[in-house]
Amino acid sequence: MLKYTLKRFGQMILMMFLLSILVFFLFALMPGDFFSGNRKLTPTRLAELRALYGLDKPPLQRYFIWLGNVLHGDFGWSLKYNEPVTDLLKTYMFNSFIVALAAMVIAWTIAVIVGVYSATHQYAFVDKLVTVIVFASLSFPSFFIGLLAIKFFAVDLKWLPVGGMIDTGSNSTGLAYVLEVGRHMILPVLILAFFSAGGLTRYFRSGMLDVLRLDFVRCARARGIKEHAVVYRHALRNALLPAITLLGFELPGLFSGAIITEQIFGWPGIGPIQLDALNAHDYEVLMTCTLLLSFLTILGNFLADVMYSVADPRVRLAQKAEA
Amino acid sequence: MSLATKSRARRITSVLAAAVAALMLAGCGASNNSATSSTPTTVDGSLNKIVYKGDASKSPAKANQRDDTFVTTIGTPSGVFLPYFQDNGWDGNATQPIFNSLVVVDNSGNVKPDLAEKWDISSDGLTYTYHLRKGLKFSDGSPLTAKDVAFTLTLLNDPAYSGGADFTNIGIKGVDEYKNGNAKSISGIKVVDDQTITIETTKVNPLALQTLGGSVLSKAYYGKDYKKGKLDYLKDLYSKPMGDGPYQLSKYVDGQEIRYKANKYYYGGKPKIENLIFKVTSKDTALANFQNGETDDDSFTPDQDNLDQLKSFGFATIRESTVPDISEIWLNNKNDILKDKKVRQALVYGLDRQQIVDVQLKGFGQVANVYAAPTQWSYTEKGVPTYKYNADKAKKLLDEAGWREGSDGIRVKDGKKLTLRYLTSKSDDPVVPIATENYKAIGVNFQPEVLDGDTIIQRWTQGGDWDMVGGFRTNGLVDPDDAINEFYSTNTSVNLTGYDNAEVTKLAKEGIATQDKDKRKEIYAELYKKLGEDVPTILVSYRQSLSAWNARIKNAEDFSTGSGDSSQALAKLEITK
Repeated sequence: MLKYTLKRFGQMILMMFLLSILVFFLFALMPGDFFSGNRKLTPTRLAELRALYGLDKPPLQRYFIWLGNVLHGDFGWSLKYNEPVTDLLKTYMFNSFIVALAAMVIAWTIAVIVGVYSATHQYAFVDKLVTVIVFASLSFPSFFIGLLAIKFFAVDLKWLPVGGMIDTGSNSTGLAYVLEVGRHMILPVLILAFFSAGGLTRYFRSGMLDVLRLDFVRCARARGIKEHAVVYRHALRNALLPAITLLGFELPGLFSGAIITEQIFGWPGIGPIQLDALNAHDYEVLMTCTLLLSFLTILGNFLADVMYSVADPRVRLAQKAEA
Repeated sequence: MSLATKSRARRITSVLAAAVAALMLAGCGASNNSATSSTPTTVDGSLNKIVYKGDASKSPAKANQRDDTFVTTIGTPSGVFLPYFQDNGWDGNATQPIFNSLVVVDNSGNVKPDLAEKWDISSDGLTYTYHLRKGLKFSDGSPLTAKDVAFTLTLLNDPAYSGGADFTNIGIKGVDEYKNGNAKSISGIKVVDDQTITIETTKVNPLALQTLGGSVLSKAYYGKDYKKGKLDYLKDLYSKPMGDGPYQLSKYVDGQEIRYKANKYYYGGKPKIENLIFKVTSKDTALANFQNGETDDDSFTPDQDNLDQLKSFGFATIRESTVPDISEIWLNNKNDILKDKKVRQALVYGLDRQQIVDVQLKGFGQVANVYAAPTQWSYTEKGVPTYKYNADKAKKLLDEAGWREGSDGIRVKDGKKLTLRYLTSKSDDPVVPIATENYKAIGVNFQPEVLDGDTIIQRWTQGGDWDMVGGFRTNGLVDPDDAINEFYSTNTSVNLTGYDNAEVTKLAKEGIATQDKDKRKEIYAELYKKLGEDVPTILVSYRQSLSAWNARIKNAEDFSTGSGDSSQALAKLEITK
């Protein structure tokens, strides 16, 4: 087990290194830089500015400078926002994170409950209804549902704020601040949860259906165990196993921000910042975001693999057999 | 992504905002999109047209709760609150309330007093003397004097200065010795007394009065660590502005809102409204925020739908204004095909510009024929050709130019096909379908290509690998020279079309060689005729903006974020209780 974990860890480090090369050269070799869109700069001034920010050096040299800085925790300077990239990302990524986390918890809870229920009641009315809603969630564009929700809950009913993270001009602190942010979170969280719950529900439903057909379930039923126990104690635990992998994949999603949803709800998240950075050729911001998200993807996979072997004894046995 | 806009960007909260603001061309400078008193010719009637008067009693409860706060809106500021050091035009808008200028320029390009109550220009047009108001103070209570003005101008000519303020076309005396030599100060800038400053220049330039008379930075606050060649210390002050304007920054909430408090030392007296907020809103929810009373003032994508909705609220006073910019299709005048004037004329005649305007601006725009915005004092249609859509005329011109129809319907000359590539940054550019059809009818093989804005700018500015470029507007136009300097400049990054016409160059240079407005008017009228006939670019449209404010705000008709005199207007707002 330890050996397996260490091996996977080693692979992860290697992947990270390869990734840093890819990420850096992807952006460094892209035509144009932060200054190239600015026609007002004279060629001399352009050269001066590029030298000032080290953009005139050959890419290979720039890569090692960049890598060295990154290893020291210095992710560079955002030319667009005129502040260190870490400061910029800290604020905005946290904002994205709290919305994404809340949405994920809600989506997973709904998906498990609804998935299991509709699997155990396959082809019943509720199952059919769930299927329709799931397809709606998969096929409606988020901006449409988002704007509709704003119109309905914020403009017509006036229950919830139109957007933003705090009330205009609010100076609240402590609990009042938390509640205020919470109120502003409701709509974006529900919209995000609605969109990810759709796919997840389908996933759990079909996983559950597969497991319910397996021999050990039939066996459990034959032994006279109550249906409730069969479904929740025997079948569900097995159906949830693949979800660990899925959970690992969700990790980067918690920090990546949702461009469209955040934009519509005026939520100061990382999504629109990345889009802005791309448009402005603010590459240090983009490189940091991309690197961080790929790191989280790799980490998520690593954690999923390790957790899987903890949760499922069969995986451990297989590893032993291999070794 | 507004890199090209070095100074204050206009507020264009339309769908185009992001793309347009970034890709604005031509010169920079405080430009204006709203209006005040003057009434030149406009797209449809007036510059600042109130199309609906709101009823303050219908104002939503949420807005009425804020009896000492005015909430207006902003796009994507990035938190650099120091004039002259900003890359993002929205930051320029956000900084306007904090700093006054020596002079401001209204929406028709007229210079008005601000910190300077009057000014003199020497008879040779080279020496500028500003007379400051008495008793001016910064928001910390310290006096604002001519020394602060001198410090500001010195700072902007420091060898390490990397911002957008550019004095090369004014030629302040002694700048070269300061920038590149050992001079300790700039010899052309002289502080006469606390209220008087004289600036000697070397080039006659009608824009110098406003360029030299910008925001004033406190020497005590911004200059205490100043050493020639070292400006890095200013970065720490980006987020802590201290100025003399009607409002001072109290808090910047990242990506959410910018809060200001009234400045009791403002020369015009403390503003009546205690708090000012610039709220970040997205174009998707601008209307919902306004309807709910979250904001007091905003601008909207101009279309009939939004106008009808705004009217239905009842509390909104609605304004339509002409935006001082022009949408053009730039032509490569050095290109073998396009250097022929007849071909260029044929391309205008053969393009149904009215249809483009109808599709793109949905009734909020008009076909452009003059190289000036209808808001500008120099605008005149007299004698300027209008090139109404006429395919037959276009065909005749192409025939005359030697382009004969080939077997496949495409015209040919000397064995070469009449193929023109069109670059645009917008995937929904209406020019693409309309020109493809129109040009096919006159035998031109029109090949559109959608690329990202920066790639286009690069191809456009470096080398001649392009025929036509569309999807861009000029920057906000203030002085008549703004719209035409690209046609005589020898700087290839300004003169993108490569257009060169001795007569035009002569007239254009005369236009900026005098301070006499009437004389300039005559010169530009002549120039518009000449350029209109020569077609260096295809003029496409002028557009209008749609904005509205809650009728509970008094005097808001003079206010528009980003206009040159906006902070003066801001200081006069009141809330009807």
